[in-house]
Amino acid sequence: MAFKYGGYIGQLLRVNLTNKGITKETLREDWARDFVGGVGLSARIIYEEVKPKIDPLGPENKLVMMTGPVNGTMIPAASRSSFCAKSPYTGSFFHSIFGGFLGPEVKFAGYDGVIIEGQAKAPVYIWIDDDKVQVKDATHLWGKDPFKTQEILRQEIGDEEIHIATIGLAGEQKAPYAMILCDIRAAGRGGMGAVMGSKNLKAIVVRGTGGVTVPNVLKVYNTAIRLNEVLSTNPAVKGLSEYGTPRNVGAMNEAGILPTRNWQTEVFEGMKDITAEVMREKVVKGDRACFACSINCTKYSVVPSGPYKSIINGADYEAIYGFGSCCAVDNIEALCKADELCDHYGIDLISTALSISWAMECFEKGIFTKDDTDGIELKFGNADGMLQMIEKIGKREGFGALLAKGTREASKIVGKDTFRFAIQNKGLEFPGHTPRPFPACAVGYATGPRGGSHHDIRPTPEKTGLVDRKVFEGKGALAAEINHWLILCDSMLLCHLAEAIWGPMKISDDTIEALNVVTGWELNYEKARKIAERQWNMIRCFSAREGFTRENDQLPVRFMEEPVPEGPMKGSYIPKETLERLKNDYFSYRGWDLKTGNPTKEKLIELGLDFAVEDICL
Amino acid sequence: MAKVRVKTFSVIRDVLGSDVVEIAVDKPETVGGLFDVLLHNYGEPFKEKIWDPNTGEIAAFLIRLNDEMIRSTSDMSKEIKDGDKIALIFPIGGG
Repeated sequence: MAFKYGGYIGQLLRVNLTNKGITKETLREDWARDFVGGVGLSARIIYEEVKPKIDPLGPENKLVMMTGPVNGTMIPAASRSSFCAKSPYTGSFFHSIFGGFLGPEVKFAGYDGVIIEGQAKAPVYIWIDDDKVQVKDATHLWGKDPFKTQEILRQEIGDEEIHIATIGLAGEQKAPYAMILCDIRAAGRGGMGAVMGSKNLKAIVVRGTGGVTVPNVLKVYNTAIRLNEVLSTNPAVKGLSEYGTPRNVGAMNEAGILPTRNWQTEVFEGMKDITAEVMREKVVKGDRACFACSINCTKYSVVPSGPYKSIINGADYEAIYGFGSCCAVDNIEALCKADELCDHYGIDLISTALSISWAMECFEKGIFTKDDTDGIELKFGNADGMLQMIEKIGKREGFGALLAKGTREASKIVGKDTFRFAIQNKGLEFPGHTPRPFPACAVGYATGPRGGSHHDIRPTPEKTGLVDRKVFEGKGALAAEINHWLILCDSMLLCHLAEAIWGPMKISDDTIEALNVVTGWELNYEKARKIAERQWNMIRCFSAREGFTRENDQLPVRFMEEPVPEGPMKGSYIPKETLERLKNDYFSYRGWDLKTGNPTKEKLIELGLDFAVEDICL
Repeated sequence: MAKVRVKTFSVIRDVLGSDVVEIAVDKPETVGGLFDVLLHNYGEPFKEKIWDPNTGEIAAFLIRLNDEMIRSTSDMSKEIKDGDKIALIFPIGGG
């Protein structure tokens, strides 16, 4: 029977790995309406089904892969999918989102999402072949890297068009920031790969031959045509097709906002050798697009020979920032190799890079010597040392075992004030988008449920001058409205790289139109905003139930105490007292309790989250 | 007349043909005047990289004027002088 709303399949797949039980459940119409899909719907499910304070690497945790109503339609920049769980890295609800084809394929197989629970006794993989679902032995895949695993599964199944999510060695070892590789794209952050590994689940393999039903195909077609036209002519999107996300590198360095040497400064003297232009000239061989997307932002790059021989889908900006400017390595081929090694071991690229740059600063300060670092001269700029250390992190071997814990835990172990330059919040290391000159971005990072994520907040409105970065008033409200457009997109699984049309200041008309034409809903801005606010509060409730308070909403000490030392942003930072004022501004705008930072009873009732009142309101 | 050095990146650099170009700006000697000259010199290929046809307005981005950061959305009347260095911080966005 068709689901009430367009775009949805109306069915969830539940796989219990403890008893290999497979059930197909009808999607709750009220949850679809109130939480949409993707991250919003996953948050509701996980809040309901995962008990507070459980071990994220135990069988009680659940790994939810969820699509959204727009996935699998012809709407562009809408191909993403989400893995959600309680994170072993941050202890909070975590959503790790990836692009490509896997999300649409799950819908074509007949499911809006997959809930994975329990723990297999031995390695397994899940094979979803339309309505036929099996839990199969993966003993022969254990120990294989993600791409080798994909190759074997494609051969065994005899179908080149299957789509696969898999973990590497790090996930198998439950390394805290292990990622899930989804074909060529990564659900990189927050240790979702460790959750998968803790369940002895090596891979999820999907083949779907169905489709997605919408109320009026012509309306969806017309919207898709119009949005593609907007994407192809919007200046803020231009450049992604030709250069991908690294298009930022030169401009950011010129603006003095390219984080360098573990964020000791934000101007990199070696920038000219790691720009998008250099990358295109030296290594890029082609472009790759996600399902139904006209942007083609992924670059396919090859280093054909030599010590950095590698084949990657990248390097994206975060690799160039993390392994490039942050580790002071100015060799684009070495950055490609670093990217490839992260995929090989299945580790989050940003956390890996920032753990190494933190260690490099320790080395620079004399806190570590070669005796500590397995004989590696771990100086800034040492490309080979950096690559050796990635291998050690991937294997959790020697000094790499310390860095595999991430900067928060490693700095606690090492002491000696090294926490001050651990560039993380809630344990999650920061991406390459500085908040020091941008107050809305700063409070967004601090209050974000994941911590150091540029997908809970976007720097773009302040970084482009849409709003005045020097004005602090109203920045709490701006951060909240950016949260809202992001979380609604993450529930529809829209790509943030198209933020010019989905945002960038608040939920856009285009976002609402895409949702309405696919579902048949008639949402206006106020109704769409209320859904987004409900989703954001739902996630905050999960954190609050785990014991998080406003004290957990922090920035790295460096951002609060060390002004940018040079360049056009010289002098910028967010002093602690300023951050606290921004948090008050943000909490007040949200109607949250200023003391705890938690949603109030009145706010929860207003949003229809009454069930959470007794969990978090004293 | 102000002769200024203009630095650009990625797709805009491709249109201008070099990392840095020298541009002579006659009256008005302002940032807006500079963009008028760039539009005149580089025409539609430049315009389509920086103007949004859907809004009819120039895109929002920061501009580095020597060591000062200014905004395309509010600072077009800012005066420029001979020898100034101007960088267009664009395209840019989240990664």
